Amino acid sequence: MWIISILPEWAFHLILTMGIIGTVAGFALGMIPAIRQYKLPIQVISLLVLSLGLYLEGGLADYKTWEARVKEMEAKVAVAEEKAKTVNVEVQEKIVTQTKVIREKGKDIIKYIDKEVIKTEEVIKYVENCPVPKAIIDIHNDAAILNKAAEPKDKK
Amino acid sequence: MKTLIVSLAIVLAGCSTTVPVARKFPEAPEVLKQKCESLKLIEGDKVAITEMLKVIVHNYSLYHECSTKVEGWNEWYEAQKKIFNEVK
Repeated sequence: MWIISILPEWAFHLILTMGIIGTVAGFALGMIPAIRQYKLPIQVISLLVLSLGLYLEGGLADYKTWEARVKEMEAKVAVAEEKAKTVNVEVQEKIVTQTKVIREKGKDIIKYIDKEVIKTEEVIKYVENCPVPKAIIDIHNDAAILNKAAEPKDKK
Repeated sequence: MKTLIVSLAIVLAGCSTTVPVARKFPEAPEVLKQKCESLKLIEGDKVAITEMLKVIVHNYSLYHECSTKVEGWNEWYEAQKKIFNEVK
């Protein structure tokens, strides 16, 4: 409610109090001659003021309830954001470590081929006498770029 | 007077609003956003089987690196979804 941002809180209480006093005066104190003379205008005006006061008090209470809920939500969101950051760090560290291990293991295997496998008599004989046919190399290379066939044509 | 009281009662209806708290979905870790490397090709016409084997081993490593990233995405998404849904 926009009026909440303009008027101070006590103004809402004052309007309601005035409405209550006016209504009591208009309905219950009608027998007093000074009031009896203006009974109807007092009743109408005080009912209007009372209604406005009630409406504003209701709005204020509603506003306060929502404000409390917003604060509660903000606190929950802040906790969630912290948790999310922690998950990010955990995932990042896990992936970096795993990638490092995979890379090192791959390099180790390649080193082993260069150092050990290549020196094996059986392998030496095979390498000398049987180079890999070009057709097999081509098939391997075609398979390695299979994903290019699935890319959109304008990207190529 | 009665009409006035009835109309005021109608006017005094309450309003409702939604909780205005902006939330943003977390940014994924940089390592997950990196593209998977392209597989290595065997170069040359006469290639020794050991050279071919090395390329294959290298490509296996690339596959496992990439699969680690995919698993990382799944793990990241599930964890973030759980955290996101916990806030109500």
